[in-house]
Amino acid sequence: MLVTWRYRKRKSLIQLFDPRAWLIFYACFLASTLAFWDLRYLLVFLAIALLWIFTSGVRWKEMYRAWLFMGGFIIFFSFLTFLTGRGGSEVYSQEHLIKSLSLPFTIFRWRPTLDITVERTVWAVSQLVRVFSIASLTVLIPYTLNPALYGVTFRGLGLPDKIAYAMDLTMRFIPTYGRDFQQTMDAQRARGYELEKLSGGLFAQVRKLAPLIVPVTIHAIIGSEDIIDAMDLRAFGVGPRTWLDKLSYRNRDYVLIAFSVLMFFTSMTLSLFGFGKFWVPALFVKLAGG
Amino acid sequence: MDRKLTSVILALVATLVIFLLIVLIGGAINPSLKLDQTALLRFVFVIIGLLIVFAVYYVTRENKMWEVGTREVVYMAIGAALYAVFSFVFNGTVFIVPSVSQVSLRPAICIPMFFGFAFGPVVGFFTGAVGNMFGDALTGFGLSPQWSVGNGLVGMIAGLVFLFKDKKRSMDTVLIISAVLAALGTIVYLLNRSLPNMVYFNAPANVFGDQPITLFAGISMVIGFILVLIIRFVWGQNINMAAAVTWSALGNLLGIGFAAISDIWINKYSLATAVVGEFMPSAGPNLIFAAILVPLLVVAYMAVQRQSGR
Repeated sequence: MLVTWRYRKRKSLIQLFDPRAWLIFYACFLASTLAFWDLRYLLVFLAIALLWIFTSGVRWKEMYRAWLFMGGFIIFFSFLTFLTGRGGSEVYSQEHLIKSLSLPFTIFRWRPTLDITVERTVWAVSQLVRVFSIASLTVLIPYTLNPALYGVTFRGLGLPDKIAYAMDLTMRFIPTYGRDFQQTMDAQRARGYELEKLSGGLFAQVRKLAPLIVPVTIHAIIGSEDIIDAMDLRAFGVGPRTWLDKLSYRNRDYVLIAFSVLMFFTSMTLSLFGFGKFWVPALFVKLAGG
Repeated sequence: MDRKLTSVILALVATLVIFLLIVLIGGAINPSLKLDQTALLRFVFVIIGLLIVFAVYYVTRENKMWEVGTREVVYMAIGAALYAVFSFVFNGTVFIVPSVSQVSLRPAICIPMFFGFAFGPVVGFFTGAVGNMFGDALTGFGLSPQWSVGNGLVGMIAGLVFLFKDKKRSMDTVLIISAVLAALGTIVYLLNRSLPNMVYFNAPANVFGDQPITLFAGISMVIGFILVLIIRFVWGQNINMAAAVTWSALGNLLGIGFAAISDIWINKYSLATAVVGEFMPSAGPNLIFAAILVPLLVVAYMAVQRQSGR
């Protein structure tokens, strides 16, 4: 049985717009956000993302799991960036030390030390804001985009019928295969299989992943035969596809698309001319004694 | 070529030319102007990747492997969804999959390889590109468009086996090309052994990309290629299994190579850093996964085919 995303019709800003317009906005927003590392620019994108979230009509109860999962992941990796300064060394050469924390013991003559610097802190915060902005809009998609409109939306964006329908099916299959994977893992665990305790060398570990990957894949392929038969019986692909729902742009959609395109080209131009690179507030540097 | 396809290709070429003109002319007009082309270059490489796909299609368009029917549409969707789910599960969000000597387990890569081999280059490309895109979106880290195209190329090239009626003969050519690429990558590694593994976190030193690539990670490509050779010759009786592994290996080397090489311009890496820091630790282990997991999928799929008669 198919598992679906948790969409329902809501009174919200996102659902006022044609889904094509909203996807165009999302793509432009994504590209624009990725062009910058300056916290001041990123906060603008964060504000836009928060506007969409708070007007989406999706209650915390409905998507807290997705938020906890994704939010936890983002915070973990941002914290890792803070601890390690990963990626930051490519954009800043000088660091201003706030505090250095060392553990009172050594491991093989190495003393664990954490240097908290202004640059590393701002870099981690910039990454947190950047990724959070993107992730928050991505989380909204399955809750606010009607699954019945996936195919016609992609077709309306200019994709050929078959590719649009393939995208439609992909988005519909993801939660189902996620469920199948979980079921397979539980079934294998009941048979003594422990993914968390993979042991042995590299080859043994890779081989031990097969009891998860092979059954889920083959089950999906076997299940596809019914879908193929159903589509063939309905003359799929014989001629130009007609869609049950018809999408038409309204004035508000044109406004959103125009705003999106303007946002994208402005961001690309600013990025091209060197604006929006990593920025450290001068006040923080001063406070650190720089 | 039909009119629509021609207009798409022309649009891609025009966009590429505009981007390149911005990059080249802007600097020529004002030599002191230092343009940061990073954001643009990601799209440039996406366009280059798509043009490569179109070029391969154009040269081989008479072959039936490019036909997209109902079956291909459904397999595209299944492949992309599976790749997205497995990528999400195995990239550390659900499990912390252990790494061995700087080699992280990334078994999901076997999906575009298998789907490309089993169902054709269109299915393979869609599985790799769209699956990688959704996998990144599910993780919440946004998109790496040139890596999505690179993953798409992995699946597409694995599907080019359909070009050859005689799979056995095709394998020898593919193995030679793969051997040359693997040898080149390994030589670059051996000449630059002190270069960092850009994708590995060194806990004691608390940094990423600061640890020289280990010998195992550096020669993982050789190890993977040897495994591919073993499959090719020891299990050569099973033509499907041997062909799947050899073509998957080539797809991996070219697809991941495309994505890693693009970082020379996008992230301003040197050739050696791109090869040793990104290509080797990514493509090398993928060869190992291809040699172990793809044959298992092929054998299981052949059993299903025998049972169902399709």
